[in-house]
Amino acid sequence: MSWEPTLAHFLILSAAVFSIGLVGVMIRRNAIIVFMSIELMLNSVNLSFIAFARYRFEMDGHVFAFFVMAVAAAEAAVALAIVIHVFRHKRSVSVDELADLKY
Amino acid sequence: MGFWEPLFFWFFAFGALLTSCAVIFTRNPLYCALALIADFFCFAGLYVLLSAHFMAVIQVLVYGGAIMVLFLFIIMLLNLRDDQLADNRFQVHYLLGIAGGVLFFLFSTNAILAVVDMEAVEEGREAAVVQMEEDEPIMVATPSAIPGEAPEYFVGDEEQWQALFRPLHADASEMAVETAYRERLRGWRDGVAQPSDGKYEPFNPDRQYELPPSLHPEVVELDPQGEYKAHATPGRKGLYGTFKPISVKLVNRFVVPFELTAILLLASIVGAVILAKRRVS
Repeated sequence: MSWEPTLAHFLILSAAVFSIGLVGVMIRRNAIIVFMSIELMLNSVNLSFIAFARYRFEMDGHVFAFFVMAVAAAEAAVALAIVIHVFRHKRSVSVDELADLKY
Repeated sequence: MGFWEPLFFWFFAFGALLTSCAVIFTRNPLYCALALIADFFCFAGLYVLLSAHFMAVIQVLVYGGAIMVLFLFIIMLLNLRDDQLADNRFQVHYLLGIAGGVLFFLFSTNAILAVVDMEAVEEGREAAVVQMEEDEPIMVATPSAIPGEAPEYFVGDEEQWQALFRPLHADASEMAVETAYRERLRGWRDGVAQPSDGKYEPFNPDRQYELPPSLHPEVVELDPQGEYKAHATPGRKGLYGTFKPISVKLVNRFVVPFELTAILLLASIVGAVILAKRRVS
């Protein structure tokens, strides 16, 4: 590892942020924060897309990151509507309460 | 790469790591949302370092603006009491989750370092520095460590397989990225390289490819008075990472995913409204 950033630096940073998002999905039970962790993971994937795009001089990676952002926006809108709906029924946003399909 | 770019890289990288840790380890959702905003700004800074200026702007506008407003709005709307926060006791599966995350990180880092040959990257960067001082085109090898023999599933001959791993750009400056990008555009126009035009034909050197007018290097180098400049403006005023190439790609090669995204957004708007309504009359 050198002081000046290379492709591997960006990829490892992306992997680290993705892992942190993964940990957040696994350990948090507040549904809103679980969605925030998912946004973190999507962002880290965008970072590696753009790092590869610069590495190859192609801009297709930028277009893909653009699509990922659009999908993230759509996902956030629907997921937060679901959170509101769940909160009205259960008076809670804990994902532990959402185990009705288990039985 | 001068003095400032690595400094900003490490600043934004540690900022991104710290704020993402803050997102998952602070208890109050409001603090989580604020840490997430800082995280998005750090990512925008990293995109600028990667010459992706348009993506940095979009990151701030869409993530830092729209999505975070949505999150903050929901947090404020629900107005959770302390006993409704749902993360009020420590459990053993916290440790299991953290251990799983660390293992995932080690696994993926191992995979990355196996594919990206760090010593070759170092050599390639030194060669790039030498070439930049000599004002030559910046194409130096930073090869990946993928083995050279074509696998059996690869359709094509050995030469085409090698072309997939041709020498790539080292970690040259912004100006070098711009130079190489313009070289690629000229290659499209002159018919020696294949643009991403969505027609998946094998490369034909005799065919004349039509470059979209907005991407002609000469047109780009026009100044506002309509006169040609002697050289492209060096530095950060180039074409790579700006809106023009992305928009050309969006309406050419990626037009079907683009329209599908529009349908997805429409469906999600309708779905969100119906889900959040108390009763659909």
